[in-house]
Amino acid sequence: MKTLLSWLLWLWIGLVIVAGYALVPPLAGFVGGGESSRILFFHVPMAWTSFVAFLAAGIWSALYLGRKTRQRRHDLAAAAAVEIGLVFCLLATLSGAWWAWVEWGGARWELSAFWNWDPRQLSITAALIYYAAYLALRSQVADAEVRGRIAGAYAVLGLFVAPFLFFVAPRMATFSLHPEPVINPEGDVQMDPSVLWLLLAGSLGFTVLFFWLHNLATRLAILEDRNEVEA
Amino acid sequence: MPAQAAHLRFADLRRRFGRLRVLTGVSGEVAPGEALLVNGPNGSGKSTLLRILAGLLAQERGTVELSQDGRVLDLSERRRSLGYVAPDLALYEELTAFENLEFFARLRGVPAERGRELLDRVGLPHDRPAGALSSGMRQRLRWAWALLDRPRLLLLDEPFQNLDRAGIEQGTELLEEHLDAGGLAVVANPGPLEVPRVRSRIELGL
Amino acid sequence: MSGRASSWASEAAAVFVKDWRCELRTRYALNTLGLFALTTLIVVSFVLGPVGAVPELAVTVLPVVLWLIVLFAVTAGLPRVFVAEEETHTATALRLAATPSALFCGKLLYGLTVVVALEALITPLFAVLVKMPVARPGLLAAALLAGGYSLAAGSTLVAAMVAQARTKSALFAVLLLPVLVPGLLFAVQLTRIAVSGEVPGQELRMLLLYDGTLTVAGFMLFPFVWNP
Repeated sequence: MKTLLSWLLWLWIGLVIVAGYALVPPLAGFVGGGESSRILFFHVPMAWTSFVAFLAAGIWSALYLGRKTRQRRHDLAAAAAVEIGLVFCLLATLSGAWWAWVEWGGARWELSAFWNWDPRQLSITAALIYYAAYLALRSQVADAEVRGRIAGAYAVLGLFVAPFLFFVAPRMATFSLHPEPVINPEGDVQMDPSVLWLLLAGSLGFTVLFFWLHNLATRLAILEDRNEVEA
Repeated sequence: MPAQAAHLRFADLRRRFGRLRVLTGVSGEVAPGEALLVNGPNGSGKSTLLRILAGLLAQERGTVELSQDGRVLDLSERRRSLGYVAPDLALYEELTAFENLEFFARLRGVPAERGRELLDRVGLPHDRPAGALSSGMRQRLRWAWALLDRPRLLLLDEPFQNLDRAGIEQGTELLEEHLDAGGLAVVANPGPLEVPRVRSRIELGL
Repeated sequence: MSGRASSWASEAAAVFVKDWRCELRTRYALNTLGLFALTTLIVVSFVLGPVGAVPELAVTVLPVVLWLIVLFAVTAGLPRVFVAEEETHTATALRLAATPSALFCGKLLYGLTVVVALEALITPLFAVLVKMPVARPGLLAAALLAGGYSLAAGSTLVAAMVAQARTKSALFAVLLLPVLVPGLLFAVQLTRIAVSGEVPGQELRMLLLYDGTLTVAGFMLFPFVWNP
C-alpha cells in the first residue's frame, strides 16, 4: 500500500513538472518570452510547504507542552518538521533569489539583483533564521525533557510572531525607499487559470512529500531515542 | 500553630539522565509525624529523588502524591506546602539574611516578622549580606528559609552539612518540632544519620 | 498553610523590588548595558559625524543606528534576569516560592525599566552627537517606549529559555533577534517618521499590537519554560 502511494506521489510531482513546461502558457513580461516564469511552479510550492511545515512544528510543540499530551514523539515530530521545513524554506529562498537574478541581473552579472528586499523576501528570510535558531537551541540543551519544553515554547512563540512577518511586512513596503515589487501571482486574478491550478497541484504534491519525509524522519528519531534508552 | 496533617505517597519513580539510569522504580510512603530516611552512596539518586518530590524535576514514570484531607494536591499546591533544604539551594548574596527571608515571605504572603523570628531561632544576624555568611551559617539560613511558610512536608538533602554541633542539635530540634506537629519529612544523606521518628528507610544505588 | 493571601500583584512587585535592590547594590546590568551602549555610541557617532545635518541620511540611517545601539546593549545585559538566577542557584528557591506568572511579570517590568532607562540615557546623547533632527518628539518617545517594551518582553521570555541551556549568552542573541524582527521594523519606521515629521500611518498601532502579542505569548509560554 505504501509503495503504491509513494509511486503515486512521484507520478503526481512528475506530472506537475511536465505540465509546468508543456501544458501551461508562459507568463507575459518575463525573460525568455516568459519561459523563465516556469520556476514559479517550483518556487511557490516550496514556500507554501515550508509554511505548512512550520505550522505543523508549532502544533506538535503545543501538543508536547500540554500536560496531558506530553509525549516524546510529539517533540521529535516538531523537531523533524522544522528540519525538513528548513530545507523547503531554503529552496524557496534560493529559487526566488535565482529567479530574481534571471529576471533583473542575468546579463550584467549583478549580484545585487539577487536580493531586492521585497516584503516576501523579508518574511521568508526571517522564517529561515527563526527556525535555524530553533535548531541551534535544541543542540544546546542536554536533557530531553527540558529541551522539549524550551524548544517547544520557542516554536509556539514563532506562531505568534509569524502573522506579523507574513501579513504586516507587505505594509512596510509602501514606505520602502527601494520599491521593487516581485511578481506574486498568488491571488492574481489576471493569471491564466491553468497556472493557478498547476500551482495548487504542485503545492499539494510537495505538501504530501513533506509529510511523507516527515513521517520517515519522525519514526527514525523515535527509534534512535528508544535505542538510547535501552542501551 | 500545628501543621495540618498530610500524607505523602510515591510509586515507581524512574528517571534517567541521558543513558544514565539514576532512579529505577523507587516507591515509598510517609504518614503524618514520620520521617523517611534515604541512604545511598554518592550518585545513587538521593538528590534526584528529593527534587522529584519537590516538583523541581519531572519523573519519567511513576507518581508522586501529596494529599491532604483526602485530596491530592496539584504541583503548585505541593510546592507551596513544602520546605526544602539542599546543598545547591542558594539565596541572594547581595541581600541580607533578613531581606532574603522578607522577599520570600512576601512571595508567600507571610508577614516579615516570621523571618526575624526564624533568624533568631537559628541564631543568625539579621543584617549581614548572605554572601558574607560562612558555610555553616548559610546552612542555617537554608533551614530558616525552608521553615518560612510552615510547610507540611520537609525535604532535607544533607541537612546537617557544614553545621557545628550546636547547629546539628538545633536542626534536630526543629525537625522534631515539625514532626510532633504532624508534619512529614524525607531526609537524604550519604551516610547514617540520627533522625528522630524514622519509620522507614530507602537504600538507593543497589 | 499560613492562611494569609499573597496577592499576585504583591508577588510581582516583590520580584521587581528584589531585582532592583540587587541591581543597585551590584550595578551589574546597568554597567554592562550602559558601557556597551556608550562605547557603541561613541564609535558610531565618531564614524558618522554630524550626518544628521543631511536630511535624507538623517531619516534613512540614524533611526536604524539608534535602535541597533539599544539592541546591542540589550543582548549584552538583559539575559541576566534569568541567567543569573540559574547560575547562582537561586532559581531553585524561586521555583518553589513564586507563582510563575507573577514572577514573569515582575521580571518583565524590571527589564522594561532597565531598557527605558538606557534609552533615556542614550537617545539624547545620540541626537546631539550626530545632530539628529527630531520633528516629532512625542512620537519619538512613543516609539522608544513601545519599541523598548517589545525588546523587554522578548528578552524576558528568551532569557528564561537560554538560562537552562548551554552557551547562554551566544544563544540569547541568536534566539532573540528573529523574535524581535517585526517589532524592530515597526519601531524603526516609527522613529523615522518622528525624525522626518511625516504623517504617521499604522506603525504605532502595529507596534502596540505586537507588544500585546509578545506579552500574551510570554505569559502563556513562561510557565512551560520555567516548570518541569
